[in-house]
Amino acid sequence: MTVFLDALPATANEWVVSVAADDRLALLAAFSGAARAVGKEPCVVPGRGTWGTDEVARAALLVRGAASVSPEELYDRGDNRERQAVLKALPLLADPERFLPLAIEACRTNVLTIFEAIACENTYPERFFPELNFNQMVLKASFNGVALARIVGLAARKNDELARMAADFAAERRAAGRPVPADLSGIMKEVAS
Amino acid sequence: MKLFDPHIHMTSRTTDDYEAMAKAGIRAIIEPAFWLGQPRTKVGTFEDYFQALLGWERFRASQFGITHFCTIGLNPKEANNPNVAQGVLDLMPHYLGKDGVVAVGEIGFDDQTPAEEKFFAAQLELAKKFDLPVLIHTPHRDKKRGTERSLAVVKEQRFAEERVLIDHNNEETLPLVLATGCWAGHSIYPNTKMDEPRMAALVKKYGPSRIIVNSAADWGVSDPLKVPKTAIAMKDAGIVAADIETIVWKNPIAFFGQTGRIVAADLASNASYDQAELFEGNSVLRGQTPART
Repeated sequence: MTVFLDALPATANEWVVSVAADDRLALLAAFSGAARAVGKEPCVVPGRGTWGTDEVARAALLVRGAASVSPEELYDRGDNRERQAVLKALPLLADPERFLPLAIEACRTNVLTIFEAIACENTYPERFFPELNFNQMVLKASFNGVALARIVGLAARKNDELARMAADFAAERRAAGRPVPADLSGIMKEVAS
Repeated sequence: MKLFDPHIHMTSRTTDDYEAMAKAGIRAIIEPAFWLGQPRTKVGTFEDYFQALLGWERFRASQFGITHFCTIGLNPKEANNPNVAQGVLDLMPHYLGKDGVVAVGEIGFDDQTPAEEKFFAAQLELAKKFDLPVLIHTPHRDKKRGTERSLAVVKEQRFAEERVLIDHNNEETLPLVLATGCWAGHSIYPNTKMDEPRMAALVKKYGPSRIIVNSAADWGVSDPLKVPKTAIAMKDAGIVAADIETIVWKNPIAFFGQTGRIVAADLASNASYDQAELFEGNSVLRGQTPART
């Protein structure tokens, strides 16, 4: 799978390829140091939007080094930006369903940018999350002021329980005299007239 | 004037502190890894601490427009604990390469034991390997001797002195440090270590070169606004604005920027700030036109 490598500018591509795919320590060091090596300029990943060049390089390192390092350990020992790169890359790795526990755990973060990396512009939750986890993620997005339009496949995954949770959340907000996110109505059940 | 507090333990502070710091002009901070007020019993709790410094705390600071960096190290107190010391040293290579890590620290002496010296030297080696400067804590007790011994270890290990910051200096230790190529940090505290008028007097005597001030605020009696307060004290003592700016902004960037991991332009473009904001009824300005971004 070369989608990430192909997306990189030539110099960044050469840098990633220069890291031996079977050298665990070199891979770990390169993963941490990617931003200093290739910068953070915008880089288009076809079909997946625009990432930082460092994020694309990290994803490429993860794919190339899959036999030597795991997404779980890179996430566990990663700083915020490294964690974001792992989460964005998940749906494009081989057998992505293996990483469901990691993806669900990532939704529990308090760091909004990490939450957005899994919840927004990412096909992973739509494809693999069980209903309970998908619903919790949608509600957390709304709670944190994240636009629901950023959740891939939300329309296809709408369900009765999510509609109830959204309605309860809206009622709680109204009772507290606080504004209700405008896009919440899109996942509430249409009331039959 | 933009301010940099290069030594503050924010995991122990509240969001009220972040808010007040941002209002007072603090735009960037460094949180050195230190002990937590009581000893840890497991290597794993160090790892969780390192991750908090690189994760949640960075994000928390960013919410207030403050850029957060950290240093990673085995502190001198816990270097004496054989249950954790070697394990923490073994962990460090996993973290020293991260973007937010700008030095190895705090390292150095506390009780000045052989174990402290062993892990001090070992961490100087790690710093060389990762091309990082070091932040050296100096002891509360027997401080002058501890500082002399720290400088001696740096020399023995042939560690580049311009990459060494000796912290928590006072009137007796500062001339020792300035006689070498090392940088000199000062922790401005409500009661102990150093206060604002004494600091201003030291700057008048020695000038601004290689001088750094910080709050070292933590879980004890301390004050996260000591850098802005010291800037005001220096102004009141007649120190020129350019020298104050060197001490509270340019010097920490010059020292910790030796990593290439602090980009001054990024800090300048980060959050909006307003120098007209008052803190405790005082402006950090004295008659200048407030700058806004």
